[in-house]
Amino acid sequence: MNFLIIILLVTSLLLTRVSRLKTAVTIILIQSFMVALACGIDGLEAGAVHMYVAAILTAVIKVGLIPYALLNIVEKLQYEREDHPILNVNSSSVTACIAIVLAYGLIDQALPGANSRDALATALAMTLIGLLIIMTRRQAIMQIVGLITMENGIYLVGLSATKGLPLIIEMGIFFDVLVAVVVLVILTHRLKLSGISTDISRLKKLKG
Amino acid sequence: MGELLLLALFIPLVTGLLSMFQDKVVIIKSLNLVGSSMTSSVLAFIVFRISTQGAFLNGLLYVDSLSAVLLTVVAVLSLTSMVFSMSYMEKELVEGHITIKMLKRYYGLFNVFIFTMISVLVVENLGLMWVAVEATTLASALLVAFYFNQSALEAAWKYVMVCTVGICLALLGTILLYYAQVNVVGINVQALSWLELKTIASKLDPTITKLAFIFILIGYGTKAGLAPMHTWLPDAHSQAPSPISGLLSGALLSCAIYAIVRNLIVVQAILNHEFLQYLLIGLALFSIGIAIPFILVQHDIKRLLAYSSVEHMGIVLLGIGISTPLAIYGALLHVINHAIAKSALFYLAGIITQEYKTKYIMRIRGLIRTMPLVGTLFIISILAITGTPPFSLFISKFTIIWASFNDGRFWLGAGVLFLLAGIFAGMMYYCLEMVFGNPGHNISVGKVGKPALWSIVFSIGVMIVTGLYVPLWLHTLLIKAASVVMGGD
Repeated sequence: MNFLIIILLVTSLLLTRVSRLKTAVTIILIQSFMVALACGIDGLEAGAVHMYVAAILTAVIKVGLIPYALLNIVEKLQYEREDHPILNVNSSSVTACIAIVLAYGLIDQALPGANSRDALATALAMTLIGLLIIMTRRQAIMQIVGLITMENGIYLVGLSATKGLPLIIEMGIFFDVLVAVVVLVILTHRLKLSGISTDISRLKKLKG
Repeated sequence: MGELLLLALFIPLVTGLLSMFQDKVVIIKSLNLVGSSMTSSVLAFIVFRISTQGAFLNGLLYVDSLSAVLLTVVAVLSLTSMVFSMSYMEKELVEGHITIKMLKRYYGLFNVFIFTMISVLVVENLGLMWVAVEATTLASALLVAFYFNQSALEAAWKYVMVCTVGICLALLGTILLYYAQVNVVGINVQALSWLELKTIASKLDPTITKLAFIFILIGYGTKAGLAPMHTWLPDAHSQAPSPISGLLSGALLSCAIYAIVRNLIVVQAILNHEFLQYLLIGLALFSIGIAIPFILVQHDIKRLLAYSSVEHMGIVLLGIGISTPLAIYGALLHVINHAIAKSALFYLAGIITQEYKTKYIMRIRGLIRTMPLVGTLFIISILAITGTPPFSLFISKFTIIWASFNDGRFWLGAGVLFLLAGIFAGMMYYCLEMVFGNPGHNISVGKVGKPALWSIVFSIGVMIVTGLYVPLWLHTLLIKAASVVMGGD
């Protein structure tokens, strides 16, 4: 389990440094795979059948369908890169490290003596890093990647705090995540079709 | 009753699915009219049954007086919006802004959107409610992006991003609440069922509950357009087709407020009363206050109305924050009134922008000369939304401020009155210029569709009638709903 947590932290930190969209999607694929694995291992330890289902759902949706859709659109965006993020890569990484420290502090404060402290802190750090990526990256695809990181983090919070939510709610959440990414991919695709760059920071027609 | 609820969820889905596969405009229109009337009648019947027989629980479905109040809003708005869409979309089609394919997509998504809003109101589970609220964002996102031009794409992108991030925080809060529940009763219970949570509320861990509620408030507050999380709202509401703007502003924001209230009912038993009040009233005042500068310098008619929605959600939250039965009664009445008035205004804005072919307030002049009826209805609706008597919004705003004075919060009531005066001045200034200004160049005005006018006249009629007299059934329903919010049954 500790090994998984370390990989998850590394993937999140790596995300603050990539500029190629394809690399970012690959990293998110690995990250989601680790989350699915964590869910499966937890299910094995607890002997809970519903967690196997959740693990399989994670694998199918977050490791399969969503990266597939993203890679598909990245292929069409060959000239788009994350070259000049609003916060440069070094500062992003430092901020992400601060987020990790903050997450540990917050977990120790809010849930003292929780038995899966490291997992919870990592999960919270992933949520914060996801938020950081959404706020500081210009490319549409990078923002989607940030959103998925955030979602993975929150999912991991649920997993480590309460062994996941009941299956019916879990399935609803998966469905929502899938649809959200589909909607965002449609929007990105439309941006591309209309000849507008997928650099979101250039969209500033609406003001006031 | 259970069958009725399933029917209410089922009809919009079927209507939406069927309209995706029709090619004749007439068939799509009549299909949707029938579907929408059926949904609204079923919803009205559910509300009637609730007000006579009380709450109903069946597995994951639950409705009580509080849901009934919100179901009334969805029932009225889905019908008026559908009727208005018929004229509006036909005109868009005739003028070549949209194709038949887009029309089919419009009606399909419209019905899915209605379906998701009804699901928010009828589930008895905070987790499933989260799923439904997120689904409303996704169903409406493609409606916001409907025209797929640069502004619409920008608005939709911001809408999905800001709301999804916000709602993810609400999910985090919900998970924390579940953690608190598990700590009390263990796993394998009715997870996140709020009836269950309410009965064990006093045993929940206060620190975790507090943290959970802050996340939940930020999350659903984003969806409800409360400042400072309102940034997506003016963009999305101004770019969506006008019938959808009406639904977003009237029904969707109310559903988000409902989600906050449901969580509030659970946590208020355990959290410090003062803490909650400061939190809610602070957020409410900020939302009302932030709307003023934007309303005063606005140049886009639909953004003007959108900022007014931010203000009104602030007023509703103020009533909930004061949390005396009277204030909550006022807040719930205000939810209904705002929904009806604001949707009527968005429909009118839709007619106006279609005829003038611009959203710029500067270029919309002399409505009373170019379109006498629309101009008159517009000025009536603006008077209604700013809370002048004899319209129903006057009653609800008055009740909330009265409750504030009654609760000994003199400065709060006085301050809000002052802010409302500023908003009244801003809205009236623009309204008078648009209605009585000099049209300057000639504007050729087409014929406004009859259904569109009917739905607006109907809304204004409702506002006047309930302004003079709140029907007894509504009055009882609101009192019961207020007692539910206070923590009763």
